[in-house]
Amino acid sequence: MKFFLKIFIFVLPLSGAYAEGQKSAGLPQMDISTFPSQLFWLIITFTALYLFMWKFVIPRLSTTIEERKDKISNDINDAENLNSEASKILENYDDKMNSASLESNEIVSSSKATMNEYLDKLKKDNEIKINAMITESEKKIHQQKQQSEQEIKKATIDTIKSIVSKYVESVPSDDEISKKLN
Amino acid sequence: MAADNPIDPIHQFEISKIAEMQIAGIDISFTNSSLFMVFAIAATMTLFILGLSKRSIIPNRMQMLSELSYNFIANMLRDQVGDQGRAYFPFIFSLFMFIFFCNFIGLIPYTFTVTSHLVVTFAFAGLIFLAVTIIGFMKNGLGYLRIFYPSGIPIFLAPLIVPIEIISYLSKPISLSVRLCANMLAGHSILKIFAGFIVMLGFLGFAPLIFLVVLYALETLIAALQAYIFTILTCIYLNDALHPDH
Repeated sequence: MKFFLKIFIFVLPLSGAYAEGQKSAGLPQMDISTFPSQLFWLIITFTALYLFMWKFVIPRLSTTIEERKDKISNDINDAENLNSEASKILENYDDKMNSASLESNEIVSSSKATMNEYLDKLKKDNEIKINAMITESEKKIHQQKQQSEQEIKKATIDTIKSIVSKYVESVPSDDEISKKLN
Repeated sequence: MAADNPIDPIHQFEISKIAEMQIAGIDISFTNSSLFMVFAIAATMTLFILGLSKRSIIPNRMQMLSELSYNFIANMLRDQVGDQGRAYFPFIFSLFMFIFFCNFIGLIPYTFTVTSHLVVTFAFAGLIFLAVTIIGFMKNGLGYLRIFYPSGIPIFLAPLIVPIEIISYLSKPISLSVRLCANMLAGHSILKIFAGFIVMLGFLGFAPLIFLVVLYALETLIAALQAYIFTILTCIYLNDALHPDH
């Protein structure tokens, strides 16, 4: 741009100097004598610009813009892929969490069941033992009762015998007394 | 006249020879007009050479600028003409850049505005008119004549509509070229007149100076706008040639 400006500044006084030397009447736009020159240089400069644009600028710009578009769409694709991968991982994680919680629930319930079973068994065993002990003690009580009943009977017989012997010569036998008692 | 009055507003439009040249007796001297045409294409080329020197996915400022202008014209062409317009893109793009830089360089004081000369704008408009007509007949054959009789018009209106359409078609290059040229001519003349007022009024010159600043901003807008209008009208004419059914 600096180069361009330098040329520009250099040429300015030149163009002014030539303008003063000319004489024209009316609008310069209507001066037909300048038309061929303007058209000639317009064709040359515009053709140069057209070729420059057509062969140099447009292919380069369009490839750059296309590349950028491709890059952006590729990046978006990549991002989408990563996103889907991440959501897959999340799904996987959720699945695992669900199965783990199911499993732990199962474990808890099964251990509860085994515990209940064990407790029930323990209870039953104890009941059986207690019942056995109860029957045994009942038996013992019964035995003791019988024993004491017999002892009481015996003592009664003995007492009666000693009482009777004091008053009567012949002492009844034990069998006779027990017959009478009954 | 020009030499007599230093603030003659028309003086800036005068063509002066820089180097004399002749081909077959026709004067094709290198003039100030030619010089500023060269400046305009040099400015365009500088923009694009700088913009394309380091092409990267993430553009720098100059690359951004060149891509911006590319996309601007490419979108304009796509919106107006569609995909069939791709073949004409280099021309439309060059046309816009050329007129744009001619208009803008002309805004710098002491410069010459190439597009303020009717012969230049008419050369463009005439070329576009011829090209569009040829393209229209090549793509549609004689069916291109339908543009003079739009569909849905009752037949008894044809004697009225067809001449109007023909006249409007033929006046396209004139309106296209005169619009650009007259805008440049009038705008630059008014700028020069008000600049002259500043000098003439001396101390009181600040009033026209303020006006000049505002006017200059307006002219800057017009310089861009006229380049845009010229280009978009070219696209519209091209669309008419490619799709005459509307």
